[in-house]
Amino acid sequence: MSDGSQAANQGGARPAKRPNTFLWIALAVFGIVGLSLNAFMRPEGMAKRLSVVTTVERVLVEEAPAALAPEGSQPAEAAAAPTATAKRKWVDPDDAGLAAGTLRRVEGVDPISWETRESIKPSEAELLAGEIKPGGPVRIEPSPIDSLGIWVAALLTLFILSFVYRDNPFYKVAESILIGVSAAYWMVVGFWSTIVPQLLGSLAPEVVRAYAMPSLPVSSTPGLDAALAFVPLLLGFMLLWRLAPKGGWISVWPIAFVIGTTAGIRLVGAIEADLMRQLVAAMKPLVVFENGVGAAGEAVRMFDFWGTVGSVVGVVGVLSVLTYFFFSVDHKGAVGKTARVGIWFLMISFGSAFGLTVMGRITLLLQRFEFLFTDWLNI
Amino acid sequence: MMRRTIPMLILASAGLLLIVAKFSPFTVSWQETVLGWFNILAAVAFVLGAGNLLAVNLEQISSRRPGWAYAAITLFAFAVTLVVGMFKVGAVPNGMHPDIHLAGAHDVPQAPFGWIYDYMLVPLTSTMFAMLAFYVASAAFRAFRAKNIEAILLLGTAFIILLSQTAAGMFLTGWIPEDSVFSFLRLDVMKRGITEHIQTAGMRAITIGIALGVAATSLRLIFGIDKSYLSKT
Amino acid sequence: MLRIWRVPAMLAALLALTATAPFAALPPDPADVSAVDRPGDGGAAVFVRWRVPAPDETARAIVERSRTVAEATRDGAADEPWILVAEVDPLAGAGDGYLVSGLPNSKGDRHASDEIVFRVAFIGTDGERTPAIEAAPVVARANAFLLDKIPLAIVCVIVSAAVLAWILLARAGWSVKIRRIAALEAIDEAVGRATEMGRSVLFVPGIQDMNDIQTVAGVTILGRVAKTAAEYDAKLEVPTSRSIVMTAARETVQSAHFAAGRPETYDESSIRYITDEQFGYVAYVAGRMVREKPAACFYMGAFYAESLVLAENGNAIGAIQVAGTAEASQLPFFVAACDYTLIGEEFYAASAYLSGERDQLGSIKGQDLGKLFAAAAIVVGAVLATLASLSPSGPMAGASTAFRAFFGG
Repeated sequence: MSDGSQAANQGGARPAKRPNTFLWIALAVFGIVGLSLNAFMRPEGMAKRLSVVTTVERVLVEEAPAALAPEGSQPAEAAAAPTATAKRKWVDPDDAGLAAGTLRRVEGVDPISWETRESIKPSEAELLAGEIKPGGPVRIEPSPIDSLGIWVAALLTLFILSFVYRDNPFYKVAESILIGVSAAYWMVVGFWSTIVPQLLGSLAPEVVRAYAMPSLPVSSTPGLDAALAFVPLLLGFMLLWRLAPKGGWISVWPIAFVIGTTAGIRLVGAIEADLMRQLVAAMKPLVVFENGVGAAGEAVRMFDFWGTVGSVVGVVGVLSVLTYFFFSVDHKGAVGKTARVGIWFLMISFGSAFGLTVMGRITLLLQRFEFLFTDWLNI
Repeated sequence: MMRRTIPMLILASAGLLLIVAKFSPFTVSWQETVLGWFNILAAVAFVLGAGNLLAVNLEQISSRRPGWAYAAITLFAFAVTLVVGMFKVGAVPNGMHPDIHLAGAHDVPQAPFGWIYDYMLVPLTSTMFAMLAFYVASAAFRAFRAKNIEAILLLGTAFIILLSQTAAGMFLTGWIPEDSVFSFLRLDVMKRGITEHIQTAGMRAITIGIALGVAATSLRLIFGIDKSYLSKT
Repeated sequence: MLRIWRVPAMLAALLALTATAPFAALPPDPADVSAVDRPGDGGAAVFVRWRVPAPDETARAIVERSRTVAEATRDGAADEPWILVAEVDPLAGAGDGYLVSGLPNSKGDRHASDEIVFRVAFIGTDGERTPAIEAAPVVARANAFLLDKIPLAIVCVIVSAAVLAWILLARAGWSVKIRRIAALEAIDEAVGRATEMGRSVLFVPGIQDMNDIQTVAGVTILGRVAKTAAEYDAKLEVPTSRSIVMTAARETVQSAHFAAGRPETYDESSIRYITDEQFGYVAYVAGRMVREKPAACFYMGAFYAESLVLAENGNAIGAIQVAGTAEASQLPFFVAACDYTLIGEEFYAASAYLSGERDQLGSIKGQDLGKLFAAAAIVVGAVLATLASLSPSGPMAGASTAFRAFFGG
């Protein structure tokens, strides 16, 4: 390990090992041939995906004015619903309101139509085939974009897994993609789920409703919301001032604010949720009885040996580990012995937690292999 | 003063205010408000992160330092994802408001942003997560060289717990009758005893210690004893 | 003639009445019906009290309340102005009274309800219902302080007083000797070794943002590590997974360089933002570790599943690794794969310990005092619980319950 790493450090000019190279080329050729055979020779192929395509159409309608109603129309009603301010909405062309005449199309506005796609496997398509009527709004067609997606996902999965062997260009490619995509992903999520609804939605709700989130809830206290939203806006502005050539020190203010609020919230939170709750849970009786049934069928209290052992172990464990955490006294003498018992308790706790996690991690790996073998290779 | 005193005052007053706020129904919601502010602040701060990411990678590309091609891949992936996400390119229109493009859904697989999420981000992150299976194994194997009693306790316990979760555990000790005096030797009984009593006690003491540590850390910050976050310039 | 005829009729009626009296008599009406706002709460709760004049004849009590203005405006006119609250044991109205919670707040005021009228009726043993007796109108208000938080306030004061008192004692010259913590002494050694080998030092401040106190503690420790690195002139790398953490880390490291008297060696570009994504971040750090082979790796902050990826890769490259976290679920992995691990409270004490300042060391002593209180509480609680277990009806059972209730149990 060490000689190899040093060589790599000195510029990576390691002499290629011939037998190894040959082995890898052979493996690559074998892999490519195998994949091609799998993809092209089998009728169901690999990573084949179809789309259920549904055409959706919407037309803009407004409430038919009461004045146009054929009978029983009252002038007052008609005046109360002037056409200019009648509520407009987009509905399905088959909407019941259109047929019944309570809604009418807005003149001069074209319908909007688009397609929604849902990716399915060929086997799922067979099950669906009977339900789809030709000429209807739903059809099934090949989806090369999803097949490509499965291929990309499978290759990226293999690239990452290759790191187990050692660092290599494939892993570096996957890593670079992962960094770029994920950084942008969280920024987009932050923008659309925090900045737009919470910041802009409080400062300029009408604009947000008109251009981005028509369903933004109407606040009962818009003025207060806007005022409160100015605080993070100001803090954010101070933080970003770091990018300015001068006065970058002001970014400490928002950081101080964040640290201060965190300290305040966590101080009380830790004492309430962690300290007090755990103290109560640790107050166990050192002798445990259980309710049983006596020989004559009467209720009796019986000494519960294992319950008592567990309870005593629990109390001793907590006290000895607390002793281990005691910083004022050196771990010598009686304190040292108690602290040592505390360490044993800690190690058994950690071992137990470790053992409980292993199966979960293996399951995760099996899921990735299942993806490779089922979704991609289709074996 | 602007660089040290005011930040310390901001920190102290914000901290004390939120401690007191917890005890009155009129102010108990302040915590939530402040957390909401933090989320907005974090989202605004993305500008700094993005700026740093661009600067570092552009510098690497322009100076043609080794690995600049990977920097280019990162930048390309970043730019594409950001553009298709921010502008909701190819978003599926919202059925209620198909005329407002930005009201559409961009996180569905048919939109480019959703495609990138489903076929790139998810497989990449879940494979990275799945790699833990290898690391758990290597950590366990290395620990077999354990020489002291602590490591033996950790590993021995991990081994018992792991064994008790598999069919091997049942096979090895399942024959011991559950109501016998020796039932504590059954792996499933041992597992229950360890997790319910010893692990719980250990974790409980850790949690109590952590609570006190958090309290002391918060107090050091609020009362200006710990000022390491402050610049000395 | 007519009068004489009346006598047997009256007798018969009287007989009929006395014969059915034990079954058909209405219980007496509820007495002293009142409704009072529950004190020291967050609002929306009222105690309804009443007296039962004849408990033997009363089977159940029916509590009803009027519809509030807020409800009427929200739901429109309702046929039935009274809302059934509960049908309860008639004795529930004794003492503090029967607690009605979840009352709607007024539209204009989030901390008080509109006026509400409560009324109580009894149902006799045979099912007959007395007229309902109304209480005076009541408003369920939020009070300035929450009474049920008093134990929390007391414990907060005890813990804070312990820490602050020790800070003052430290200033007054009391000994602030702290036992040695191996993991912390390893920090200097690890940075020194990295310098000798000409390799870098990697510091990972966790994957959470600055609103996690672990990150704050991690960044504080970063300050000490950065100071040592600046003194040794070792190259320090700090990849961060949050933009604000990057900003805070830069402040801290710059400050450390000033403190070390080496402001010119501060290099902002060594502290960079990678990505907010947990596994994207770890993919970068793992790759970086394998390529750069830092000689010392520090993991200080909030960690989740990625802890083992980092620690195992650090192990593979032979780095000295020191971890510190209060994330209990990740401690096993750090303990198994790192050379030194700061466990929970040690992690929080680390920055104070490393500073070497008397005030800060005093606060660690205060933490210890807090632990003594905690241990004492556990011992008292366990003894009380044991006595209660030995005699469940004895006086200690009540004491045990009360003691636990103080801590919220």
